[in-house]
Amino acid sequence: MRKRKRVADSDEAEIDLTPMLDVVFIMLIFFIVVASFIKEAGIEVNRPDNSKSDPSDATSIVVTITGDDQVWMENRRIDIRSVRANIARLLASDPEQSFTVKTERGASASTLIEVGDAAREAGVASVNWPAEEKK
Amino acid sequence: MAQGSSAQGGGGEGEIDLTPMLDVVFIMLIFFIVTSSFVKEPGVEITKTEAVTTGACERGTIIFAVDAVGKIFYDKKEVQVDRAYRLAEAARKEAPKANFVIQADVDAPTSALDELLSAIKPLMDAPLCASTEEEG
Repeated sequence: MRKRKRVADSDEAEIDLTPMLDVVFIMLIFFIVVASFIKEAGIEVNRPDNSKSDPSDATSIVVTITGDDQVWMENRRIDIRSVRANIARLLASDPEQSFTVKTERGASASTLIEVGDAAREAGVASVNWPAEEKK
Repeated sequence: MAQGSSAQGGGGEGEIDLTPMLDVVFIMLIFFIVTSSFVKEPGVEITKTEAVTTGACERGTIIFAVDAVGKIFYDKKEVQVDRAYRLAEAARKEAPKANFVIQADVDAPTSALDELLSAIKPLMDAPLCASTEEEG
């Protein structure tokens, strides 16, 4: 950069920078137009590595979403709005518990995301969503 | 623009030093080259679920969409699940630090999401970002 400046300042060099400037401007405009600055927002959903590992051990909170969008927790059906309170209650006894949401074929994405959102709101470290079991 | 600079740069009498402007232009050019991520948008209208804990998807630039009937879209085209892996692999090669985002419609079946996620799971090194709408 400094070298170029000296060349431009001195009178004997006489390099015409115009064509390069044109190219640079066109590139600049291209990249300004192409730059999209997309900012996606969402919630993080973790997929456990080994789907064979049993998430239903004692140290894990498991929520099951059935094919008709019912939410089951601790062997009883609960309302989607009470998921957060239920998870918060379980977390109170052991804040390190992992959280797993299981879905059955036919459940809708909104239920899954709402449950994941409720769990994150209750304070779980991560939302785990293992692969659906094939029937 | 070209005419003005050629009249001054070419003619001896103008004597305007273009170097500082050139420096600025170069810095802007490099900035835009570095920040441009060439996101391929899925190109379908998705009604996202609202979520309270919505946060930014860090470097989430590989975006798949799943519509209300479970069809998967990538780069404005519908794709099959078995092709999704190869598309994701290619996108990952282009941008090794990019993370995956799935835009799921409120009515999208989780089975379609599940298949897609299982397909691209080997490529993922960060949790998936499920795209949501900020509540409120």
